[in-house]
Amino acid sequence: MFNVLTTSRGAAPARRRTTRHDLVWAMLFLAPAAIALCVLRLLPTISAVASSLYKSFPGGIVTPTFAGAGNYLSLFGDPQFLGTISRTILFNLVINPLQIGIALLIAALLVRRVHFAGLWRTLIFIPITVPVVGSCVAWGAALNPQGPINALLSAVGGTPQPFFNSPSQALASIIVVASWIGIGYWMLFLISGLEAIPEEIYEAARLDRSGPIRTFFFITVPLLRRPLLFVLVADTVANFVLFVPVQLLTQGGPQHSTNLLMYDAYETTYTFGSVNTGAAEIVVLTTIMLAFVLLQFRLLREPK
Amino acid sequence: MKEENMRKHLRYIAVAVSAAAAIGLAGCSTGPSSPDSGNALSLPVKDPSATITVMSIDSLGDPNHDDKVVAAFEKAHPSIKVKWQTIPFNSLTSVEDTNISNKQGTPDVYWADQPRISALAARGEAEDLTSVFSKYKSSFDASPYESGIYNGKLWALPIENSTQLLYYNKDLLKRAGITDPSPDVDRRMTWEELGDLALKAKQAGAVNGLSFGQANTYYQLEPLPVSLGGSVGANGKGNLTPDIDSAAWIKAFQWYGKVYASGAAAKGQTYSTTDPDFLAGKTAFEVQGPWLLPQLPSSGVNWGVAPMPKFAGGKAVTPDGSWSLAINPFSKQKAASAIFLKWMAIDEGSGYIKYSPVTSLAASPTGKKIYFQNDVFATPEGRNAEAIIEHETAKTAVNRVGTVGYIEFETIVGKAFSDIQNGADVESTLKQASADLTVAWAKYKS
Repeated sequence: MFNVLTTSRGAAPARRRTTRHDLVWAMLFLAPAAIALCVLRLLPTISAVASSLYKSFPGGIVTPTFAGAGNYLSLFGDPQFLGTISRTILFNLVINPLQIGIALLIAALLVRRVHFAGLWRTLIFIPITVPVVGSCVAWGAALNPQGPINALLSAVGGTPQPFFNSPSQALASIIVVASWIGIGYWMLFLISGLEAIPEEIYEAARLDRSGPIRTFFFITVPLLRRPLLFVLVADTVANFVLFVPVQLLTQGGPQHSTNLLMYDAYETTYTFGSVNTGAAEIVVLTTIMLAFVLLQFRLLREPK
Repeated sequence: MKEENMRKHLRYIAVAVSAAAAIGLAGCSTGPSSPDSGNALSLPVKDPSATITVMSIDSLGDPNHDDKVVAAFEKAHPSIKVKWQTIPFNSLTSVEDTNISNKQGTPDVYWADQPRISALAARGEAEDLTSVFSKYKSSFDASPYESGIYNGKLWALPIENSTQLLYYNKDLLKRAGITDPSPDVDRRMTWEELGDLALKAKQAGAVNGLSFGQANTYYQLEPLPVSLGGSVGANGKGNLTPDIDSAAWIKAFQWYGKVYASGAAAKGQTYSTTDPDFLAGKTAFEVQGPWLLPQLPSSGVNWGVAPMPKFAGGKAVTPDGSWSLAINPFSKQKAASAIFLKWMAIDEGSGYIKYSPVTSLAASPTGKKIYFQNDVFATPEGRNAEAIIEHETAKTAVNRVGTVGYIEFETIVGKAFSDIQNGADVESTLKQASADLTVAWAKYKS
């Protein structure tokens, strides 16, 4: 008893010292990341918001003048820009559930005791190791009107398709390219999440005569909440800022059908040199993306 | 409780990081400052010791490119060294924009696309060359020189010019029973005839009936509506009011859509496949610039050349223009840059034309003399080409629309042409492009 008391009395200041000591070290180790975050992320964010409130002659040399909400008003007064926003939202409403749904399905299949599981995982992961530009070039060639996929379609008696050249198929084709790259990547996170679920829970479910579908929806999915949330948020962010396939394969066409907000902001900023309008577009994009991410946090909140 | 707080914090951090990831793109803004006025443009008698950076679409390291030009310049001006940067055409404008507007003075000299010179001047990205170079006006052909003028001042010197010709494969035409088109500029074919003949050639076995060497570009297609009496695409103050949905434009591009819909022209072709296809004997007709000429004698193709067609009842119109050189107003080596410009465009009849192994049509009478000495012009077909080039550059060339909003114009109109090529309705596509252009140009009017 005596011992315990002295220990606790003597330990309290020591712990405070340790805590303060730890804090100094923690700050020291965190400093590079924190500084990088400020310089590379936070400052550009502030500068983008500030820049969006100015207007200037394209090119970045002539001094900008304050325009208040001018850039936003002209953007939202343009039906084409409103179309770009709704297209971007629709694109994300389709591509994110699609990619994660398929990634989860494949992950669930691959953690079962299938033969050559490692081989399948590697094959599905390989698209990630190819640079995005390479994947896009390959898909551009594959889906060319005179390309191999149409040759294959013709060979089996199908009708050749226009793919990237048709306003009704181009965005879907972009989704295919982006998903071919994305699914294997997100699958890996989900596999590690699945493997962290204790086997006993599944055993208990089996004892309770829960079938595979019931087990999947009532055991697997709830216990995967954390990795799922991470994958969902990260995938949403990646798809809101998706750029390379659009730039390389369609440049926003045909007939604006693949003009997503990120590409539009790029074109406004770099092709047309309208830096301030481009910044306003990025602020709009970020706001929409944040709304999506917050909604996802809310929906997948852990029950208290 | 603590853990929940921490999670909340982590959540905010995650949200902030994801937000910042998107915003990273727009984060590069620069403060205003003016070009170095103490370093005014001059053309000194004695060469300074300097290294200048030149930004070009041409590359070094390939025997067909500009190594010989740089070597000849450095031999003529031993105290000036040239550092070369190659940028692909598609990103040239944005790379130049970013580099010049950071005001570090690099590149010193850059390749300037002639229709973009107004924009470069208005943006403050080109040095005013008037005081030093306007006295050399008579050294150049009028049209390429004029392309360097904006608001009455000279901003760039032309080093090349261009035109377009109709190349054909005599064997493929013979197989389809088509008579060779006349090289006579007064008996040029019509676009309507060309569409029909190209389809006939394709049906007789040609892989491609007709190729546009630069499909969907305003440069190559501008002559179509202008031939029918349409404008060059914009009018009004500063050429900032779109005029691309007039009857002439609609009729011209209905023809363009039709040659692709009929199969006379192939949709999948790009500038990287058209010339190789013609040189491999796969194409019956190709509309292309004179840069195809030097490659023809060694290709084995039985080729011929005719003037660019016009529409029935319309006038003969050809595009022109090419590259000029401009000086970065923030350059720290303006004297050496001016010496380089003069050597490239004027000295020895144009150092660029004289020493580049790639045969480029010169922008000056003396440069053209050097240009026409190329072997290809000694052949009978080459002599036809020479006569056509002389006529078109002097009589039928129409400059591209001169406007500070050229980049937006070229981009938006190019996408509309691409949509028309893919079968989009011509009238609504041009009207939509006109509306897009009005939005994109609003910033120049306020």
